[in-house]
Amino acid sequence: MSARAVYGIVAREFVRFLRQRGRVLASIGRPFVWLVFAGAGFAAVFAGRNQIDYRVYMAPGLLGMVVMFGSLLAALSTVTDREAGVLRMVLVAPIRRSTIAFGKTLGATLLGTAQALVVAGLLLPVVHLRPTLAGALLGLVAVVLSGLAMGALGLVLAASIRSIENFAGVMNFVIFPMLFLSGALYPVRHLGLVLRAVAYANPLAYGVDLLKHALLGAWAEAGYGGELPVPLDCGALVLFAIVGLALAASLLGREGGVTRTALRGRS
Amino acid sequence: MTAAAIDARGLGKDFGAIRALDQLDLEVREGEFFGLLGPNGAGKTTTVHLFATLLAPSRGTARVAGYDVVREGLSVRRSIGLVFQDTTLDRDLTITENLRFAARLWSLPERVARPRIDVLLRQFELLERRDDPVRTLSGGMRRAVDIARGILHQPRILFLDEPTAGLDPRARRSLWERIRALRAGSGLTVLLTTHYVEEAEPCDRVAVLDRGRLAALGTPAELKQAAGVRSLEEVFLAHTGHPLAETDGG
Repeated sequence: MSARAVYGIVAREFVRFLRQRGRVLASIGRPFVWLVFAGAGFAAVFAGRNQIDYRVYMAPGLLGMVVMFGSLLAALSTVTDREAGVLRMVLVAPIRRSTIAFGKTLGATLLGTAQALVVAGLLLPVVHLRPTLAGALLGLVAVVLSGLAMGALGLVLAASIRSIENFAGVMNFVIFPMLFLSGALYPVRHLGLVLRAVAYANPLAYGVDLLKHALLGAWAEAGYGGELPVPLDCGALVLFAIVGLALAASLLGREGGVTRTALRGRS
Repeated sequence: MTAAAIDARGLGKDFGAIRALDQLDLEVREGEFFGLLGPNGAGKTTTVHLFATLLAPSRGTARVAGYDVVREGLSVRRSIGLVFQDTTLDRDLTITENLRFAARLWSLPERVARPRIDVLLRQFELLERRDDPVRTLSGGMRRAVDIARGILHQPRILFLDEPTAGLDPRARRSLWERIRALRAGSGLTVLLTTHYVEEAEPCDRVAVLDRGRLAALGTPAELKQAAGVRSLEEVFLAHTGHPLAETDGG
């Protein structure tokens, strides 16, 4: 594994992200839009019935959402890289496919983590949530592991999809079900058996659960904290990341990624 | 015995039912300026991608810089530079950022990469534009950056896949100047693919490729003499039965 190559791939992701002002603003503004529009509405519906302000309940889920968008969409850059030809420059470099997959995933993870940290710094004071030190550290672990799993998943999608249009479609079918079945907006345990089973196939569900452990410890007694054991959450996220990375590496190395399109363009 | 820069034996590649390259036997010598001439779809790019380990051969073997393209892909990629038909630069990054990105991919330490990038930028007359995003550059300048990127790690063999495609005549001339200067200053082996006959003229040797098969091989003078004609264009016609231009895009 070439550390310098990984660093190069990660550094490029950051430079590109920071240069796209719209993307930066969207990633920071999006959770507040949800907080205001969804949060205020649901808080009014549920007012009085619950022991927790819905906006507080939403906070871990919104951070999970920031990581999901941040890391999953960072993998989008692999599709643009393919379309713009940059991916070929990377593929002809003397590095292994697994190094490319790792660099891309790490870049996505760090981007997602950085966005989540910025949003956490703004969001938590707004909803009057003050995590304990242990809670904050567990939250950081949750964000990093979720970023890894999301980045790897995004890379698998990006590596198996050829064009941007296709990618946008798939993202719509992936992002929203993933968000709703993550426990970000309502507890997973209230879902029916089938949907609950689907939720547990969703990496974001483990990330959000871990974030609830980290931030909603005070409401655990009332049933609003994490539902699964912390080690299970961590283990599941690590497993998603490893399987995703392995799959992405083999998909990136799949031949025809370079020449087949050239051949098609000709006929 | 000095190893050939490139040694292909019975090399072939199929895409499903399409036989992109049949059975290529080819030896490119160290330091040679070698041309692969043929119309679009003749198998030139496929051949280059096989040599660059971007494709796995369907049959046959090839050694590039002494390394087997199937078993020693990393060593092959370390020894070669490849300038693709279309630019591979990141349009949103500046020239310097693109070159620095490439330097890291090739694991060049910063202290080696920095002066080397400076030299290349000066050599390719890009110093003034070094901090401009690539998307603001002309086609000729982008091509120059592509080539600078391709030789940044000082490869032994440089592949140029249709390097002048889409360039205006002036940019073409300056590109050939650069390639000539580059070869003069080093023992660099250059393999060029082109469907322009005039671009194959300055090559030491030319292989004529048609529909995935090697139709002729020799120096431009030999090829013309053997076919009893005066131009490489006619050589192509004599060997394949159809003119180069008409099969364009086929």
